[in-house]
Amino acid sequence: MSSKVLSLSRKIVLFFRRPKVEKTLKITISIIKWVFFVFIIFLLYLPIFIIAVQSFNNSQLMYDFTEFTFKWYGMIFQERALRQAIMNSLLIASLATLISTVLGTIFSIGIHSLTKKRRQKMVLLNQVPILNADIVTGISLMLVFKVFMYIFPDIFGFTTMLLAHIFFCLPYVILSILPKLSELDDNLYDAALDLYCKPATGILKVIIPAISSGIFTGMLMAFTMSIDDFVISYFNTGQGFDNVSIWIYASIGRQMSPAVYAYNTAFSFLMIALLIVISVRSSLKKRKNLIRFSQNKI
Amino acid sequence: MNIKKLGRLVVPYLIWMCVLVGLPLIIMVVLTFLKSNALDLSTAEFSFDSWRLLFSDLTVRTALKNSVVNAGIATIICFIIGYPVAYIVANSNFSNKLIILVLTVIPMWSNSLLRNNAIANLLSERSIVNDVLNNIGLSFIWPIRGVFYDSGFSPAVVIGLVLTYLPFMILPIYTVLEKIDKSLLEASMDLGANKVKTFFRVTFPLSIKGVTTGIIMVFLPSFSGFAIPKILGSGNLVFIGTLIDSRFMNRNYNFGSLLSLVILLIIFGSMALIFKVDKEGETLI
Repeated sequence: MSSKVLSLSRKIVLFFRRPKVEKTLKITISIIKWVFFVFIIFLLYLPIFIIAVQSFNNSQLMYDFTEFTFKWYGMIFQERALRQAIMNSLLIASLATLISTVLGTIFSIGIHSLTKKRRQKMVLLNQVPILNADIVTGISLMLVFKVFMYIFPDIFGFTTMLLAHIFFCLPYVILSILPKLSELDDNLYDAALDLYCKPATGILKVIIPAISSGIFTGMLMAFTMSIDDFVISYFNTGQGFDNVSIWIYASIGRQMSPAVYAYNTAFSFLMIALLIVISVRSSLKKRKNLIRFSQNKI
Repeated sequence: MNIKKLGRLVVPYLIWMCVLVGLPLIIMVVLTFLKSNALDLSTAEFSFDSWRLLFSDLTVRTALKNSVVNAGIATIICFIIGYPVAYIVANSNFSNKLIILVLTVIPMWSNSLLRNNAIANLLSERSIVNDVLNNIGLSFIWPIRGVFYDSGFSPAVVIGLVLTYLPFMILPIYTVLEKIDKSLLEASMDLGANKVKTFFRVTFPLSIKGVTTGIIMVFLPSFSGFAIPKILGSGNLVFIGTLIDSRFMNRNYNFGSLLSLVILLIIFGSMALIFKVDKEGETLI
């Protein structure tokens, strides 16, 4: 019995070892691999695709595509509440991105120059807002701001939401800059100071150009996080200051205006276009530099 | 080294963190021992009610169970899908940066609530999928949305969680896989291991760091979230997040704070775990 099984298994192994079989097996596996990969991307983009289809749908109903139309795109800025929410979202996201990028750059240079033990502690502290559950972050900030309300009674609304967004954007900026800083040669900064740079000039002219790609990544992360945030904004808003997420949350279950689908689709495409322009420009610049470099024969 | 003198740039950040992380922690702990109307201290009195409620209330237990079950299943699915995807990207010839952008950042430019709402619509009775399935006589597997089992497992919520948080699993795993020294794999092959064995003996152990981060990054938000269960759970699935939300909305800050502290405890545990495997926090982005 066991010898039979043994010979059978040997036969199976030999069958798969045959060059032809091995080759087809390899091809099948790679096909399965790519089908799987494409399928996952398809799944990730399915909701976005549905939103996009819906934004061109003349009917408000999700399950009934009646007619192709652009009218919802014209409606984006017609509805007052939605327009206000979009403006608020964009304003908060850009301000939070700007402020947290500047502060994050300064702080990460500071963290980088600490001793190893202290640096690790700071990195751990920096992870708190990233790993902390959104709801706990939101509530914590709300509690602090409620205490501050005794001193500044009117902060709930724009101010608190901006502060909250800066709070959770900063760690992402710092985390994307720190690795670039550790690649940087610390002697460069010494050299700058030896050449009579002031510390501020040294940072601006030596350190920041070297970590610019990290700063850009951080900026992108901060903007993405800020524009998509719901929970933290939800707890830290007031006086009717809504962003898009809060507006959507309030209208879920009711008949939602398809203008928001139009806004969502238009925004995604604008961001993708912006990203393409930036990356093309930076690669052109690189090529230009390369040409100049070879012409000068340095 | 002159750069060492720049350490004082950290001080404002430290103060900022103390005010916005440390202070609320103290407020929360104090709140759990009080009975107050929101933050009104004039009518507050000392009480253990919230603590008693935590151990006796059935809703808390259901909420915890629902959160753990659904978040756990979502995390496992994310790992099963996310690891191969990260592996394929890390070993592909394409421009990896582009693919990672496509996989992680670009979906987030669509509002996550809107995306989950779209999923909810897709899974409901009145959807195109249901139409098609009805026509071919498979109507019994759809709609997914309303199905609940005793365990609290809701397929719709899990689908929403997976599609929302999958990028957070892919990114850290990809980051570690990409950094693995290819010569180690060659060495393993030279020493007679086949591809499968190399993967389990070399690649996988080296990627544990990313896997840990990924699991935590998916589990924590799925566990504590309240928007997705609310949108996809037909409104009657209690999660720990929805419970906290409703307590704070009812101005019962005491019990809400206590529940938040329970979540914080879990988070600190996972932070300790991450700190053990990844001291510089490089897998977090």
